Amino acid sequence: MYKIGVRIMPRAEVLDTQGRAVGMTLKSKGFQVMDCKVGKFVILQIEGESPAHARAQATKISEDLLCNTLIETFQIEELP
Amino acid sequence: MSDKIGVLRFPGTNCDWDIYKAVEWSGAKPTFLWHQDTFNVEDYDGFVVPGGFSYGDYLRSGALAAHAPAMNSLRTAAEKGYPIFGVCNGFQILCEAGLLPGALLRNAGLRFIDQMIEIETQNSHKRFGLKLKKNQKSRMPIAHADGRYFVTDDELKKIQDNDQVYCTYVANPNGSAGNIAGVMNAQKNVVAMMPHPERAIYEWMGSSDGQLYFRN
Amino acid sequence: MTELQTKLKLYRLHKDEYAQIQKLLGRDPKGLEWALFSALWSEHCSYKSSKVHLKQLFSQSPRVLQSFGENAGIVDLGQGEKIAFKMESHNHPSFIEPYQGAATGVGGILRDIFTMGARPIALANYLCFGEPKANRMETLVDGVVRGIGGYGNCVGVPTITGQTHFHSSYNENILVNAMAVGYFGKADPICLSKAKGVGNLVVYVGAKTGRDGIHGASMASESFDDNSAAKRPTVQIGDPFFEKLLIEACLEVMKKDLVVAIQDMGAAGLTSSTFEMAEKGEVGIDMNLDQVPLRDSTLTPEDIMLSESQERMLLICDPAKLKPLQEVFERWGLDASVIGKVTQGPNVRLFWNMELITDINPTTIVSHAPQYQRPFEKYNSPYLKPQTPPQDTGSTLQTLETILKSEHGGSREWVYRQYDQRVGAATARDCSDPVGVVRLPESGRALGVVLGCRPHMMRLDPQFGGRDSILHPALQLAVMGFEPLAVTDCLNFGNPEKTETMTQFVAALDGMNSACRELQAPIISGNVSFYNETKSKNISPTPSTGLVGLRSKMENLPTTAFTAEGEDIYTLTWGECWAEGLLAEMNDKTPKAFLNFETQGFDQFVKELTKLGTSDLVSSARVVSKFGLLYALTRMSLSGMGARIESAQNRFVEPLYQIVVSTKNAPALEKEVQSWSLKTLKLQKIGQTQKNELVWADVKVKSEVLNQLYKKSWEAQFENLA
Repeated sequence: MYKIGVRIMPRAEVLDTQGRAVGMTLKSKGFQVMDCKVGKFVILQIEGESPAHARAQATKISEDLLCNTLIETFQIEELP
Repeated sequence: MSDKIGVLRFPGTNCDWDIYKAVEWSGAKPTFLWHQDTFNVEDYDGFVVPGGFSYGDYLRSGALAAHAPAMNSLRTAAEKGYPIFGVCNGFQILCEAGLLPGALLRNAGLRFIDQMIEIETQNSHKRFGLKLKKNQKSRMPIAHADGRYFVTDDELKKIQDNDQVYCTYVANPNGSAGNIAGVMNAQKNVVAMMPHPERAIYEWMGSSDGQLYFRN
Repeated sequence: MTELQTKLKLYRLHKDEYAQIQKLLGRDPKGLEWALFSALWSEHCSYKSSKVHLKQLFSQSPRVLQSFGENAGIVDLGQGEKIAFKMESHNHPSFIEPYQGAATGVGGILRDIFTMGARPIALANYLCFGEPKANRMETLVDGVVRGIGGYGNCVGVPTITGQTHFHSSYNENILVNAMAVGYFGKADPICLSKAKGVGNLVVYVGAKTGRDGIHGASMASESFDDNSAAKRPTVQIGDPFFEKLLIEACLEVMKKDLVVAIQDMGAAGLTSSTFEMAEKGEVGIDMNLDQVPLRDSTLTPEDIMLSESQERMLLICDPAKLKPLQEVFERWGLDASVIGKVTQGPNVRLFWNMELITDINPTTIVSHAPQYQRPFEKYNSPYLKPQTPPQDTGSTLQTLETILKSEHGGSREWVYRQYDQRVGAATARDCSDPVGVVRLPESGRALGVVLGCRPHMMRLDPQFGGRDSILHPALQLAVMGFEPLAVTDCLNFGNPEKTETMTQFVAALDGMNSACRELQAPIISGNVSFYNETKSKNISPTPSTGLVGLRSKMENLPTTAFTAEGEDIYTLTWGECWAEGLLAEMNDKTPKAFLNFETQGFDQFVKELTKLGTSDLVSSARVVSKFGLLYALTRMSLSGMGARIESAQNRFVEPLYQIVVSTKNAPALEKEVQSWSLKTLKLQKIGQTQKNELVWADVKVKSEVLNQLYKKSWEAQFENLA
């Protein structure tokens, strides 16, 4: 069993509406924030033969469902 | 002498005029209060936090609004026992601001629901719903994506035992704990509900049962 | 490929168009000019295939204050009230990314409305999807519906009516058409997009410019250079929260008279707004592209000119009023940046870090855009020979069940439940009725909004289908007591370079135009969406329409379902025309029809019907539509009040046109209709309302059972969208 984290963020060139709204509020509260981006973090528990296999599974899952690659990017990491 | 009612406006509030008109209809005098300004609570007899999508409902519904300067004044008003009424997104804001127990989560069906529903009064409120009788049924619309009321089981029991439940759904549309559609704080001055009584004032709207929630 | 060929392909310009540009400029286009011509000479911006036909549209009436040529049309309602409205397509973006495509479609049409100074008070949407089991269709339906709701609900404009159709011709090319209606009270000014006043400032407001939608027009040209990945068009993201701020701020500056002219940055973004504003005002503009607020500092001048980032407006402002204008925007948390000024002209001059990079006359690029007379054939309807409709055969009940279970006859509640239909607290009739109704704030009168175009009628006969796109919704308004005032349209067609498509287009437009003329309801805004074609397969021609109607009062608004027991039910039938329609299509039969429509007196019929619809003689009413009379009666019987039908008319043939009404006062209704002296109109009593059950021939079904069938069909069609 492997624990895989999937970090999903809006693509750099795509407008992050949520990040903009949170950033605006932080600034109006007086925090010195230059930019703010909001994404998602998904933790998957995967049965797999090897870490590489589990990561491959997670990549497939991310491309298939978790992430809309037109507007989002994702990064896979193995969690302890 | 007519009541003076402050109506809070956040960027993204979109039921502000609906509430304004309902308050006016009830014979009280509404005044808009801008989110970036604090206000003098003594100038008013009560407050309404209307529905909408304050700050686009980003992060969590109501979360960003709960940090606006006007909310500091509203906290003072709550502590001093002023009647405060939240509707829909206003309910979410009051929960996020800690003025009401619980939180509102994504509907059980995961989708936005616009529908005429029926609610049942559990307890009346001293200003917003004084004439409502226990078990009285009212028809009015709901229109929300995040309307599933959530509290822990212990907290739910506390709320129920302390008569803080304002109204319940006759048929639970969103998975709310204890069928709760509206709730009050322990002091019973702050009250809020997910359904929209301001959209049920005249018969042509499909129901006029919302009148009792504004009329003193 | 030569360098020129590559360029023409990238900028989607035809060889002849290139020659025309050379002639206009007296030289080769250079630098940024390529991008400007590409954008403004595109079908989308220039209407080059449709303009010669659109010029013939009936587009004026005494009520019309603004017709084509601005962001939206405006109609005078009297008593100091006016409305602006328009419908627009967002088909291709919605097929690529359904949520954002549909959401930005709603955002775009709202900007067209509040740009004029009108506060948006209603939204409507017309959707055509492929077969439910077609590839990606569930995802598309889900995304489009969530996108429309996600934007409209948040921005706080109620969606009060809509239509959803299914057909295999939309399997690879769905249609997403959105309509918005805006309101002007007595004190609200109308704002136009004509730039004027030399020395006035060009002010950019709203969201920063990003890479959104750049090179959308040249999608197919990935191999242009090594950086093609970076040049791939970026999906436009809509932010309804930002739009809400923009609405409030823009309406405030217009009301305070701080604006000379205003236009939203829609298709082709800054390019179309700059050049069109200058051209309309016959002035020049000097603009500093390096002062445009950017989200991405790597954008080039060409990117900036072509970006389709959402929620941006361009306005012209007197320098003396800049400060108060900026204060309003700041209060709403928005920036207002000066990026240029109005000049004597005639040229628009674009600067980049002080360097003049483009210097061109806006007339060259806007008014001299090409216009094509694409080949088409004269359409001759094959259905003009009078014939009586075929008798219904087989079990009526079984056929009714089949209809209710199909994607065509089942409930659309799953769709509209996701739309906020009542925000604004002015909605009297929502999406469950054909006509959406809102109360006008100042006068308290009622405004009705209804959509038209029945794709199966278009497939049968594009000319009559075009007529029907006006007449059918006009009757729906009239029977509820609304006078049909004006029309907006969204002409969705296939590839105009094909004779077949242009023949359909011209026939449909002709049908629409004659109907509008007869009813004196002009077409005052809209758009054309060509190239709805995938893998050489065109969609069914689909000229969707939006009609607005005015009713003198909110009272006595008929319901569309039976509500009281023991009322007499009548049909009012116009002439002898009919069509077999959708049911024949479902049974893979070639539909039969008789379409030789009697126009004499039809305008009077609509007027009389409008009066009847405001009287207390009609309790409930419905225009018979798809699947004929029995289906209409079924819809009227869903709420628990049914009917007993005694007469034996056709059950499933679609009459053109027929209306069902129920009344408490039969003698008065009969007297009233007879007083109209309309020879073509037939009034017939067909039965009575009764509790809980619909009874006709072998049909004897409880309302509850009908309701179950009607509501369950969605789940059966879309398992994963329950």
